[in-house]
Amino acid sequence: MFLTEKKDIQEIDEALKKYKKIGVVGCASCASVCLTGGSREVKEMKKHLEASGKEVTFTISIDEPCDKRVLKEDIRFVEDELKETEAVVVLSCGTGVQTIGEFTQKKVISGTDSKYIAQTEHIGEYYALCGGCDVCRLNFTGGVCTVTLCPKGLLNGPCEGHNGNNCEVFEDKECVFVKSYEMLKKYSEEDNLNKIFEPRDYGHSAARTKI
Amino acid sequence: MQIIPQIETPVSKNYSVFEENLIKLLNAIKNNTQNNTGTYNSLPQIIIEQNFGFNALLLCRDLKEKHKIKTAYAFNMRDKNRISLLSDLITLKQIGLKDIIVFEGVHPLKTEFKSAKPVYDIDILGLGLMLKRGLMNDIQADLFNFGAVIGSSAPVDFLKAKKLIDIGADSFFINYGGVNPDESMIKYIKSKNKKLFLNVKELSIKGSLNDFIKSIDNFGFDGVIIKITDENLNVFTRK
Repeated sequence: MFLTEKKDIQEIDEALKKYKKIGVVGCASCASVCLTGGSREVKEMKKHLEASGKEVTFTISIDEPCDKRVLKEDIRFVEDELKETEAVVVLSCGTGVQTIGEFTQKKVISGTDSKYIAQTEHIGEYYALCGGCDVCRLNFTGGVCTVTLCPKGLLNGPCEGHNGNNCEVFEDKECVFVKSYEMLKKYSEEDNLNKIFEPRDYGHSAARTKI
Repeated sequence: MQIIPQIETPVSKNYSVFEENLIKLLNAIKNNTQNNTGTYNSLPQIIIEQNFGFNALLLCRDLKEKHKIKTAYAFNMRDKNRISLLSDLITLKQIGLKDIIVFEGVHPLKTEFKSAKPVYDIDILGLGLMLKRGLMNDIQADLFNFGAVIGSSAPVDFLKAKKLIDIGADSFFINYGGVNPDESMIKYIKSKNKKLFLNVKELSIKGSLNDFIKSIDNFGFDGVIIKITDENLNVFTRK
């Protein structure tokens, strides 16, 4: 799940200042789970906009607004209203916002701040475990990502600042390299402990995201 | 066992005054036999660390050229991507400084610059690999004496030391956090004929410097690096 947080409503109001006819799109997938873009949040946004004197031309929750195929199907339900709409408030991650902007060719306003790929412990408690950092090294680290979980994103072992067990930065948390060591021992994969990772190739990840 | 002071370049002190004070400090250390400071020609007399203050490379150059002091340059991987690192390495090459000491670096969240982007483009092992192979024709393979700062309080530190030896690190600086370092790690590093130092912040030294040095005398370190925060008032000048 991609974690989002609600934006400050004043920022949204400011961005909408010159627009009168507004559509609202929610995300029934990730943003729904983290209570930033589900049907309830879409209704709340509609209520707020109307109270602010805007005309809400349509509201819709799309299963995955980041998926053009799904978007193309679902947006047909508001096709006519969209023609009359000046701007669309999108309650999804940044990928959804941009996909809707590109597809509808309307001014889009993001209603959320995009955070990270998250594990859901329960609603309201999330953890970043994966940074989507291009080449996955989990097969060599005992299944824990040192790039994401180490605040320094190190590849080849702990920094000089840990205290033997806990992280230098988040002192109440175990150093991820200690965890990785324990997991590799547990699965009898000690050979991987000696593996030396080459520096990350950022040129590769830049090419992947090129637009 | 040689005692080597390490100091960060300051933020707000005058460059020339700071430089003069460092010379006075080094002379005081040299003349104070109680500080156990023998001088081995191959080891640096002082380590200048780049952190928040003025450009440490400039000071390294002046200490070396104006004052003929063997100086090592210490820097972290927190603040520099590989382009910026290359620039530093080329400068080091130009001024003829060979001794570099590298550490991952304290995370910005633990400094006064909490909103700074932590770079950590490559880790010290990655840098070691690049240096031992050579870099972009400008930095020939093995041009520098590559010193790595490591912890020694967990088995994973030992593994990191082994990897650093595999890539050809020349010397090791074990961070001292109040507990004596793992003896098996010390033995291992020494068995590979690598130079080994203990890295100590002066605040970690509870009694006198002499007593501290005696307490670690049997570990077989080649030297002790004492990180001081002020060039005038420190563990060397304390009466």
